[in-house]
Amino acid sequence: MTAQIKATLLATVFALGLAAPVAAQEALKLPNMSYRTGPFAATGTPHMNGQLDYMTMLNERDGGINGVKIAFDECETGYNTEKGVECYEKTKADGALVTQPWSTGITLQVLPRAGVDEIPMYAPGYGFSAMQDGKTFKWAFNPPTSYWDGASMILQGISDGNLDNLNGKKIAFLHLDHPYGKEPIPLLESLASKHGFTLLPIPVGLTEMQNQSAQWLQIRREKPDFVVMWGWGAMNGSAISEAVKTRYPMNQFVSVWWGAHEPDLKLVGEQGKGYRALSWNFADSESKLMQDVKKYVVDAGKSQINAEAGEFDSTAYQRGILMSVILAEAVKAAQDKAGTPNINREQLRVGLENVNIDAARLAELGAENMMAPFAMSCSNHTGHASAWMVEWDGSKFVKVSDLLTADRSVIDPLVEKAAADYAAANQPWSMNDECK
Amino acid sequence: MDFIHSILIQPFLDMADAPDFLIQVLWEGIVSGVLYALIALGFVLIFKSSRIFNFAQGIMVVFAALTLVGLHQKGIPAWLALPMTLGVMLLLAIAIERVVLRPLVNQPDIILFMATIGITLFLIGLGETIFGGENKRMITEELGIPTDSYIFEPFGGLVMIEQRDITAVVGAVVLVVCLLLFLNKSKMGRAIRALGDDHQAALSVGISLSTIWVLVWFIAGMIALATGIVWGARAGVSFALEVIALKALPVLMLGGLESVSGAIIGGLMIGILEKLFEIYWGQPLLGGNTESWFAYMLALVVLLFRPQGLFGERIIERV
Repeated sequence: MTAQIKATLLATVFALGLAAPVAAQEALKLPNMSYRTGPFAATGTPHMNGQLDYMTMLNERDGGINGVKIAFDECETGYNTEKGVECYEKTKADGALVTQPWSTGITLQVLPRAGVDEIPMYAPGYGFSAMQDGKTFKWAFNPPTSYWDGASMILQGISDGNLDNLNGKKIAFLHLDHPYGKEPIPLLESLASKHGFTLLPIPVGLTEMQNQSAQWLQIRREKPDFVVMWGWGAMNGSAISEAVKTRYPMNQFVSVWWGAHEPDLKLVGEQGKGYRALSWNFADSESKLMQDVKKYVVDAGKSQINAEAGEFDSTAYQRGILMSVILAEAVKAAQDKAGTPNINREQLRVGLENVNIDAARLAELGAENMMAPFAMSCSNHTGHASAWMVEWDGSKFVKVSDLLTADRSVIDPLVEKAAADYAAANQPWSMNDECK
Repeated sequence: MDFIHSILIQPFLDMADAPDFLIQVLWEGIVSGVLYALIALGFVLIFKSSRIFNFAQGIMVVFAALTLVGLHQKGIPAWLALPMTLGVMLLLAIAIERVVLRPLVNQPDIILFMATIGITLFLIGLGETIFGGENKRMITEELGIPTDSYIFEPFGGLVMIEQRDITAVVGAVVLVVCLLLFLNKSKMGRAIRALGDDHQAALSVGISLSTIWVLVWFIAGMIALATGIVWGARAGVSFALEVIALKALPVLMLGGLESVSGAIIGGLMIGILEKLFEIYWGQPLLGGNTESWFAYMLALVVLLFRPQGLFGERIIERV
């Protein structure tokens, strides 16, 4: 009898084991490399919550995408590049359709592997700017806009649309001493020599993120006309606190989109008035998109956010929502192109190249005022969405500019060169010859 | 020749040129040094009494600060949240002694060190689960810490000194004086030192290992709370505070693992010297961010000549 029970149990386990992969293939495996722990958790967590909640909303409201449920599992990296590579290998082995590296350092490590393994890499609003070149980086995508696009738009924002106005000025570039923080330096150097401004890079080390007195003493000594910040995690809040402490004029302090983060500004409140950030998204909690997330996820108790603490309204959370919107649009495009709801990696790659979120589609999604329209293609893996300059009014961010657009005439030649250099340094490198 | 001038002459000319700026740099160095010393003190206390290198000191800073802010967010007034946080740190000390340390008595040091890594990972998870990962504002005003600045104009220049930094320095000095008095004048303090000197001898005269371990972990928790408040007041409370503990390592290498005064002097030395080096040599000549490595280089140089650190005890063993 015991032997019979054992045999039945074994058979059941074996059957389940065989059945599991089949069942799993019926879900769209879109794992995320999250960092809810470690020194960067403060900014990682709201983005990850946003990404997760949109996918949960699609599962709850629509039963997934075109009837296929989404498996949006997380692999914790702690923003650590080595752990990120481990997560990449793990999710790849689990049959992931996409890799979302969530750190420029991890992106750079995984970039060559993703090409060989033929896994689409989705790095929304971060990563290596040259990934826009779809001919060279067939498997990598960084919509809706790249860091080089961001740097170009910031300079337009602070020069009133004419970079020649920066001639003779000094711009301090306060950045995390990390591949992410260094990413826009080639473009900024190129623009500095073209338009005659002085670029002063000021790196902030990991252990100095919360003690930036030396960096702000340098800013006090050098008296730059503008401070452009490329920070992440606790670095941003500390920099804003130091700027207040050293009485640096807030209207001369501008950040890339990650600096549009309410909790960092709440550390200084009214004293942060005038601080600006370039942001490709704008929080709109009353939009149809956000109301659906509220109804199906937050109010249903399926979200990890603390809505009472204002996390639902945060720019970072809603940015995370939009990151998943773009990925879901890619899945839909892939399903349409492939003619099947169960897609594979190559089909998702094609889907990403066919993302077209125009004004009409934004309206359908219920996100009209939350981001600018953009489209990707075989050769354009970024989309180059425009972005707004937002300003802290003492309690919230408000839009203070029309949509800004990056200067392609400067960026594209740099991208071409960087992509060619990358391919040459990583031979044999497979190009996508289908792209023009 | 220009190179030698830029290293040996120019930095001093810059200092003489703007003495107000030099005063500001020195003050910032002192504040940083005091904060480094506070973290290092937590390590020293536990090492002194138990020979355990407490890897969890950094996360204890985060956990204590998060508990304080978290309790206040739950509507508990600051004056009550502070002793309640101390209560939580006491419970944590008791739990660590009971669950982690007691079963590992007489195990090699490396096992105990590994156990503190386990405590670190546990506290990261627990803190994240209870308080979340968001950056939180330290309840500076609610604790009565002044937040204005004093402005001085020496030599026709400008020096700004934050009142909260003065509070941090004064608070740290008071804490250290109390700690030294406790260690040197009280019965319990002498027991801690006796355990540090010789476990077996201390046990043979009736000193309770369990009580002392709970006590030192609690004191380390108190220091962690003080550190969390002053660091958190500067830039908010988040898990990023944990990495600041890395700055305590060169302080310990410099000051010695067993010396309270070594931790303080080592912290101040590193704080002031790394700031001076960064501003007058690092930024103009090396592109900045020398603070990431300068302290380790300084400690390395000291270790070449004094392997026990500046104030560590020289161990002589008969063979």
